[in-house]
Amino acid sequence: MSDRPMIEIESVSKWYESFRVLSDCTTAVGRGEVVVVCGPSGSGKSTLIKCVNGLEPYQEGRILVEGVEVGAKGTNLPELRAGIGMVFQHFELYPHLSVLENITLAQRQVLKRSKAEADERGRALLARVGLAEKERQMPADLSGGQQQRVAIARALALDPKAMLFDEPTSALDPEMIHEVLAVMSELAAEGMTMMVVTHEMGFARRVANRVVFMDEGRIVEDVETEAFFTAPESERGRDFLSKILNH
Amino acid sequence: MDVILPNLGFLLSGLATTAVLALISIVAGTVLGIVLGTLRYTSVPVLGQAAAIYIEFTRGIPLLVFLFLFYFALPALGGYKVSAYVAAAQGFSFFIGAYLAEDFRSGLRSVRPQLKQAARASGLTETQVFRHIVLPIALRRIIPTLFNQYVRLFKFTSVASVIGVSELTGRAMLVNAREFAPIAIIVTLALTYLVCCLALSSIGRALSHRFTVRT
Ligand SMILES: Nc1ncnc2c1ncn2[C@@H]1O[C@H](COP(=O)(O)OP(=O)(O)OP(=O)(O)O)[C@@H](O)[C@H]1O
Ligand SMILES: [Mg+2]
Repeated sequence: MSDRPMIEIESVSKWYESFRVLSDCTTAVGRGEVVVVCGPSGSGKSTLIKCVNGLEPYQEGRILVEGVEVGAKGTNLPELRAGIGMVFQHFELYPHLSVLENITLAQRQVLKRSKAEADERGRALLARVGLAEKERQMPADLSGGQQQRVAIARALALDPKAMLFDEPTSALDPEMIHEVLAVMSELAAEGMTMMVVTHEMGFARRVANRVVFMDEGRIVEDVETEAFFTAPESERGRDFLSKILNH
Repeated sequence: MDVILPNLGFLLSGLATTAVLALISIVAGTVLGIVLGTLRYTSVPVLGQAAAIYIEFTRGIPLLVFLFLFYFALPALGGYKVSAYVAAAQGFSFFIGAYLAEDFRSGLRSVRPQLKQAARASGLTETQVFRHIVLPIALRRIIPTLFNQYVRLFKFTSVASVIGVSELTGRAMLVNAREFAPIAIIVTLALTYLVCCLALSSIGRALSHRFTVRT
């Protein structure tokens, strides 16, 4: 395949009515790369990653996933989304389905796998995130950390080429953050392409190749991880780092 | 008891008519409620508004007048004949359907947009999101409301006696006309409805317990 990045975001702008949430955002995520997106609350981080799989529309610019333009009229969004896993702050497990059914639903409906095949893949992934014995439980019976690991397994079940994470640990008690970050670090080590919105700066520093720092809908910095942590280019980046590292 | 026992067979077959009438209306009304509620929920142009008008209209009309509509007015208008039983089944189904539609709609709306977004993110189409996520969650959540409506409908069926359906109340009144023992007959009649309604709501409770959606 080509050297072209997996995800290309080119001069993207987005408005809610007259409010400009994203202003001329440009960045890219290469194959196997891990990019952490951070920035103050309301800076547009969630909006940006939701544009990547077309959950949010944008009005200007282009986003390409493996060369396919997300916002183009003819793009088959369900198909595009099936190739990109997404993990949310509040897990969003289907409350009426068991843990295993949560992981098999899209495999069966979207990828048209047989029940046996989907179950097998689901069980393997549950084992991988350390929850093999939970397959029959309902999501509400699991802790937050366990639910989030199920959500990661659910996303991985479609064999995605990239994963998007929107503050996957922000809703978790401190003792559960680690178990989720451990799964994510492992994924990164295996070469998964990842775009991660997070305030876990320890994780960012250890795992990310690059850091994108956003403020007021703009990408203010887009630099190598070490560069961001040792010498942020912008005043706002410095400010943000000092606040988040010293709180 | 000596007025009830000799007429037991006659009354029990009235109860059977009541039960079948209720069951038909529950099934048909539920299907109608799901369809109308979904049209309202998705706000399909034209059809959604038509559903809204139908629901408003029906909810503003007394049940008995609604039955008259199906027994006298519509057949006169359309030039067809209909038995009292069929007219009652139609009237009850369409009547309860309008109420159930609003219950279904609020059940559908109780599903958080973020959950739908997560389902979409995994590649499900809008139809699949509705079919596999929104509808099953909504159905489970409204089981208690649904069964309240079913209990109401069960009691409503007694109104069918007015247009001459030979159901439980109609037959009880016939027995009373013959025997003239209003206390025994009407107390028995009331208790029979009560027991049936209690049974129906306990089924509802059991189902709602079995299918509860915990978040
Ligand atoms: N549906 C919407 N309609 C209008 N404004 C919105 C909508 N969703 C988000 N916004 C606004 O867009 C801006 C960016 O929101 P976004 O959720 O992307 O920020 P964020 O960086 O993810 O913040 P947080 O760290 O709090 O999650 C915020 O000012 C928010 O209030
Ligand atoms: Mg956010």
